[in-house]
Amino acid sequence: MADSLALTPIALVDLLDRVLATGVVISGEIVLSIADVDLVYVSLRALLSSVSSVRAVTPQPFAPQPFAPQPFDPLPIDPVGPA
Amino acid sequence: MTGRVEVDRDGVEKGLASLVLTIVELLRQLMERQALRRVDQGGLSDEKVEQVGATLLALDERMAELREHFGLTPADLNIDLGPLGPLGTLLPPA
Amino acid sequence: MTTAGGLWLHAVMRDPDPARLTGLTGVGGGALRAIAAAGLTAVVCPVDLAEFGAEPLRGNLEDIGWVEAVARTHHHVAVELSQLGPVVPARLATIYLSDESVVGLLTRGRTGIDAALTRVSGRIEWGVKAYTSSAPRPTPAVAGSGPGTGADYLRRKRAALSARSEAATAAAACAEELHRALAEVAEASRRHPPQSRGLNPRAASMVLNGSYLVDAARGDRFAETVAELASGYGAIEVELTGPWLPYSFAIVPVEETPDG
Repeated sequence: MADSLALTPIALVDLLDRVLATGVVISGEIVLSIADVDLVYVSLRALLSSVSSVRAVTPQPFAPQPFAPQPFDPLPIDPVGPA
Repeated sequence: MTGRVEVDRDGVEKGLASLVLTIVELLRQLMERQALRRVDQGGLSDEKVEQVGATLLALDERMAELREHFGLTPADLNIDLGPLGPLGTLLPPA
Repeated sequence: MTTAGGLWLHAVMRDPDPARLTGLTGVGGGALRAIAAAGLTAVVCPVDLAEFGAEPLRGNLEDIGWVEAVARTHHHVAVELSQLGPVVPARLATIYLSDESVVGLLTRGRTGIDAALTRVSGRIEWGVKAYTSSAPRPTPAVAGSGPGTGADYLRRKRAALSARSEAATAAAACAEELHRALAEVAEASRRHPPQSRGLNPRAASMVLNGSYLVDAARGDRFAETVAELASGYGAIEVELTGPWLPYSFAIVPVEETPDG
């Protein structure tokens, strides 16, 4: 069993899903833990959106939104072929 | 030495082009979806619908020309609004 | 005992044979060491605060190369330790300043940690991800100019967009069904937030990112079940990852009280 754990090639993104969001964390005299610091959250978020304090966003099926009527102006580009 | 600088310049040019074209492509897709919604709403003459469509078609073709000119594929522009439309790109940034 | 170094917490276990830890190195290359209290053992390794202190860590955590190296070492150690018994891994980058504070962790967190150890004992985790099927999308042909081509273009675009949104709706429904079916046969299940497109280019079409806790002895059967179920859903592409150490279920509640 441990052999199969060791040999399976692991994608970084899948590993980070797990080691960033779970495990033993107790506040106190620790230097830094990922869940604690907003600054880290903000900068990491640019790369990794799996920090547990990020509100989970579940993709919703696309539903047509009510569309507020707006005057439609002709686009200012001439529909011509090569100049 | 001169050769090397030119290669670098090409690289920079292509990098800049892909950046600019990515933004242009994003706008084009947003405009296209907006236009489609407006047409679907109804109330436009057939002539108007044809004009909107022809303009969007021309934009699409021009975009393709620009991409080809810089040797970029659609994937290079890294735009996928996805089924959610604009919301797909405004949620967790890449 | 205060030193200029910190202690990277790798994991907590019950009672590993300390002799088995010798020769193993952890994050930063330091030797693994056991700190025992309250019937539990924390496995730590020394790290240099110049790299792992609060300020440097903030910077390093923004470097994906650094994060990858550290995460893989952290994982490798957890896997090695799992050969010695049930393991509750620590969250990445949990660093203590002294042995005493580690002892405090074990003492205050004993109940939660113990429960987590029991929960993961003899079990593994499978990861199941599902994506909206990437059906080949028709590339709009170069239309000639002439009456009606504009309206044609609109029709084609509209059809393409509806097809995509229908595909996404169908995919989401399949993902829900798949998750429910797997959650029923697993000991426990957990859904992760969407992945980042910076790390996974397919993230935009991801409709499921789940983890399932399964008895180790039934691990293969679960994988077969995933394959069977997945083959019945045309709207999604299913990817199985693992088997994992049961990270997603080794959750210990975070304690808010400051250290005394």
